[in-house]
Amino acid sequence: MNLERLPNEEKLSLCRKYYLGGFAFLPFLWLVNVVWFFREAFLKPSYTEQLQIKAYVKRSALGLLLWVAVLTTWITIYQHFRAEWGEVGDYLSFTIPLGIP
Amino acid sequence: MDLLSNKWIINLIFCLFFTASLSGDVGVLHVLESEANLDWVLQNGPNPPYMVILDSTLFTRSVMMKLKTGSSRVAGVVVVAPSSNPAEGFSPHTTCPNENSGVYSESYDPALAHCNVTKWNPLGNGLSYEEYDFPMFSLKDDNDTQAIKQCYYDHNHVVNGSSPRYPLCAMQLYSHMSAVTDTATCMRRNGINFSLNPETVCDPLGDFNVLASTRPLNYTDKGHKTGESVVIAAARLDSRSFFFDIAPGAESAASGFVTLLAAAHALRNATQDAQPNRTILYAFFQGETFDYIGSSRLVYDMDNKQFPLDLDNVHSVVEIGQVGLHGESKLWVHTDPVSRRNSSVNEEVEKLIRNLNSSALNLSLSLQEPSFSQPLPPSSFQRFLRARPIPGVVIQNHNSSFTNRYYESMYDNAEYLNMSYPPNLTPEEQLEYVTDAAKALTEVATIVARALYTQAGGSDPIQLKNINADSQMVTQMLYGFLVKSNNSWFQQMVPSDFAIHLRDRPTNFYVGVTQQHSEPTLLVQYLLANLTGTTVNITQDNCQNQREDEDDKESKHIYSYMWVQGAAPPNSTERVAFCVRSTVRLSKALSPAFDLEEYTSKDYSTWTESRWKSIKGRIFLVASHELEMLTLGVGVAVLIASLMLTYIISSKADILFSSGREPTAATY
Repeated sequence: MNLERLPNEEKLSLCRKYYLGGFAFLPFLWLVNVVWFFREAFLKPSYTEQLQIKAYVKRSALGLLLWVAVLTTWITIYQHFRAEWGEVGDYLSFTIPLGIP
Repeated sequence: MDLLSNKWIINLIFCLFFTASLSGDVGVLHVLESEANLDWVLQNGPNPPYMVILDSTLFTRSVMMKLKTGSSRVAGVVVVAPSSNPAEGFSPHTTCPNENSGVYSESYDPALAHCNVTKWNPLGNGLSYEEYDFPMFSLKDDNDTQAIKQCYYDHNHVVNGSSPRYPLCAMQLYSHMSAVTDTATCMRRNGINFSLNPETVCDPLGDFNVLASTRPLNYTDKGHKTGESVVIAAARLDSRSFFFDIAPGAESAASGFVTLLAAAHALRNATQDAQPNRTILYAFFQGETFDYIGSSRLVYDMDNKQFPLDLDNVHSVVEIGQVGLHGESKLWVHTDPVSRRNSSVNEEVEKLIRNLNSSALNLSLSLQEPSFSQPLPPSSFQRFLRARPIPGVVIQNHNSSFTNRYYESMYDNAEYLNMSYPPNLTPEEQLEYVTDAAKALTEVATIVARALYTQAGGSDPIQLKNINADSQMVTQMLYGFLVKSNNSWFQQMVPSDFAIHLRDRPTNFYVGVTQQHSEPTLLVQYLLANLTGTTVNITQDNCQNQREDEDDKESKHIYSYMWVQGAAPPNSTERVAFCVRSTVRLSKALSPAFDLEEYTSKDYSTWTESRWKSIKGRIFLVASHELEMLTLGVGVAVLIASLMLTYIISSKADILFSSGREPTAATY
């Protein structure tokens, strides 16, 4: 979809939809929001709706950062300690590698 | 190339295993010349990891422990199996076999526990019970192995201290094992339900015990049988070695059960005509090497009303252990000193020993008790003692420590039992030739058979004198189990669907996983049926349906029927098959720990074997690391250069590809 062709109100509404959607444990929607609307929010000459779009993009970026931090921490801990957790580690796993503890 | 690998067998307490990567372990070949040469592998050599090739003389505990500690530089070990047994002996088992699963524990008698009195297997180096981070294979010393060593001498050998130059000869060994850590972990992982790809990673070890009785037992009537008093004649069926797929077990297993088979045959007539008071139960236990899998299961079944007898029906136990005689003429009768402190048990044991001694009169062998009080050697009888103080003996060829220098190793073979045949005999003639080893075992079998007859209450002296084991049969059995199982005598006694599984090599006595039937169990089952059963004249259909005629519903509970191939009469090639009726049964030999799901049990065996994908190896030449990096670098450079060229050309496309006529005034 080419943002150039959309009127500004529709751009705002699209940005809001992606922002709200990201709260349903969908951080990728926030990632898309940030990447897609970055130029619109910060690099284009200003227009009425740009302030709101800027706000949404900033908040999406914040949420995204939080998700990245949480997931990275959990993944690191899990990968490092799964073998030591024994039974709990096995029950948490969908796929257990063969041949290594 | 004949490869035998060390499969991953794991237990809760002992983790014996080696890890190997999924894509195979690659290492530069190195033929180890001496123990000092290990420095090249572990420290000095410039091209780790190394694939170490050992001659069997260097396959010792000190070399293996050093390789184990330096395992980051060792990709694998290949042991070249010698063509004859090493004179100094070799036993990869522990010095105190089945230390924690027998009867001698702190609570039974602390002075006798953990082999404090006698170290049964003094030559044991415990290699089979260590953990290795690399695969280990065994190669026969044949042309392919010479080719591998030649590859080493051509490319990898160090001359005058200079390091060898690339390309180097390397070997890759595939033997990835799925299971890890211990039995409890791998059994848990077997049972996880919501995993994306549920995969069984290990299986419990086990098979079947072979049982037969002189009087038929009704197998639907489980639990205590009032009035029944049984003498159990026991032997073990299994053995092992360091490497998978080769467990000749000549003295540790075959000497015992072949003797018991011959004794059962010798007793056939005596127990069919005038039955003695007590029933004799012949029991061949599987899995005894791995913490008494078979005997612990039978005792458990007896205790829990899963068997037509229970432990109160057992009068006494006679066990035949390692009885290969290498020219000696003395056998030793071992007993348990703790249960003998009870006077009634002691009286029964002394009666049993007197029976044995009187059976040995007029024969060239003599039986003696060890001169000092010592515990029982590792034997199935210990599991019975754990449950009840039953009188019993274990007959062995050693006074204190084992005389077997190759206990549970790949050298415990026909050569060790002195089964020597004159040269230039055909296989048929070898089958029939009575070796000295066979003559000795025949004597033992006669003694055991007569003692069992007397112990079972038989009192007719004429019957007693007529009980003689058949040396022809003993030598044929020894040939069949220790030289070639595909021989004409075995062929006659097995059903046709099993006959195709007979091999031209010695039997492998490793117990294997529960799902897979091991060859020795089936062979002993068919042999015991033929040797103790009778031929009955019924149709093949009835025979295979376990009944005497169409209306018979009862016989299958007490007898078992086998339709065997038989021999071809002299004038034709068609085998004349017949039906054998016997009291032979298979009873499940799976450790109770797996039924109870107590994978950390200290009372029962918890041995499992890992699943594996493919086991193979190959050798090839490898290039140096620098050459590989150079090739990669050139490739990447070519890629980047071509990308850049494309970008430059496309951005200047209008200049390069315009016709040059029009004046370019347009600005973009």
